[in-house]
Amino acid sequence: MPREEYQQALADLRGDVRGLGETTLDQLDDGLAAQATGDEDLARAVIEGDAAVNDRYLELESDCIDLLALQQPVASDLRFVAASFKILTDIERVADLATNLGRYALTAERDRFETVEVELIGEMAREQVADALAAYRESDSEAARRVVTRDDDLDALCQRASEGVVRDLIGREAGADGWAAERVMDDVSRLLLTVRDLERVGDHAVNIAARTVYMVEGDPELLH
Amino acid sequence: MSDTDTTPTISTAVEGSISDTDRAASASDRDVIESRGLDVHYGDVQALQDVDLAIPERRVTAIIGPSGCGKSTYLRCINRMNDLVEAATIEGELLFDGTDVYGEDVDPVALRRRIGMVFQHPNPFPKSIYDNVAYGLRVQNRKVTDERVRTALERAALWEEVNDQLETSALDLSGGQQQRLCIARAIAVDPDVLLMDEPASALDPIATSKIEDLIEELAEDYTVVIVTHNMQQAARISDRTAVFLTGGELVEYDDTQTIFENPAHDRVEDYITGKFG
Repeated sequence: MPREEYQQALADLRGDVRGLGETTLDQLDDGLAAQATGDEDLARAVIEGDAAVNDRYLELESDCIDLLALQQPVASDLRFVAASFKILTDIERVADLATNLGRYALTAERDRFETVEVELIGEMAREQVADALAAYRESDSEAARRVVTRDDDLDALCQRASEGVVRDLIGREAGADGWAAERVMDDVSRLLLTVRDLERVGDHAVNIAARTVYMVEGDPELLH
Repeated sequence: MSDTDTTPTISTAVEGSISDTDRAASASDRDVIESRGLDVHYGDVQALQDVDLAIPERRVTAIIGPSGCGKSTYLRCINRMNDLVEAATIEGELLFDGTDVYGEDVDPVALRRRIGMVFQHPNPFPKSIYDNVAYGLRVQNRKVTDERVRTALERAALWEEVNDQLETSALDLSGGQQQRLCIARAIAVDPDVLLMDEPASALDPIATSKIEDLIEELAEDYTVVIVTHNMQQAARISDRTAVFLTGGELVEYDDTQTIFENPAHDRVEDYITGKFG
């Protein structure tokens, strides 16, 4: 095939984005596990691991710019490089949010809000990212569209969880043990932040999926 | 109108040339050139195969494709330059302003007054800069005035560089300046269409960028059809792109953005991404 160096650079980029995606999924898994188990070592490892993700992200962003400047890709190649360039940012943001989970794990006092389904939300958000990255890897726009559609379920679950926490807080305020609400304020903030961050993880999965649809089909509709 | 011009259908509008106001008034998205089922053979070799193509007025339309795909042949059909090739046979229809340019009553010389051409290598005459522009006016029996020469040089973005040396030889100009002089010579007679066959392929990047800027400006007043091997050039300057592939087949024709971002045909995709071969 002609332009072998160029074809190799495109293949390398696809593999590299996939590699950064896998690293980020590991970070997310560890962040969620640290939250669930209170494993402080794991939480610290997630926080420290973010620097490597950031460095790799910057390297791959630079590779995309080199491809655009030196090879001037067009058509499906252009859409692939443009989508990858943006998907890299979403992957890096997911890793940032995994780092947040590690930070919350270091300070959390658990078991005060057993009714909040944080682990379920985390699992759903994680699956969304994994499915979006798989859709990108396989250039499967149908799978990517399913990720976009499923985001409503995750959003609904997040909203229900946030409302549950607030309702619980109001209940404590109104109850006999009025100062109990004051005591759990830190946990409330952390829980709400966790839920918000996991919802954002889901949003980044949607971005990855939407850019995959653009990459495969050339249809930018989902990007808007 | 000259005595030799006997066709009432393709008016040459000699002295009463189309003014800017007229052009603005007639601005539309209409197609000014249209081919239907155009076949061209050079002897036994088929150069164009059943080409349907409609070229919009006052836009830049690029024709791209590999060597031997028929893109220059198509360009030369538009102003009947292929008439000069004895072995060429042309079938199908090619309409300019709704009139078949191969109709029996069409005078090719009159046609070429309205459809000018710029070639790959700048070909100024060994005369002064002024006379090169005036030449086009003279051969078409149009009055040569300093104003017309100046206007043509201004429209070709050359006036500022040559206004104090109009009597020097055109051959002393740089390649890029010579090409702009050829464009000035072509537009001096106020054509409707400018055909350009690889107009920047012999020029350096700076001269090329000047020609590209000029082409975009010219499209405000003229319909420009450009054949180019340089796909990035087609992407930069054209509104519509036609992709011809081997065998003289027009495989895809669409907005330039669509061709370079999301072409419909795999063969076009392979060609523009360099996966052919």
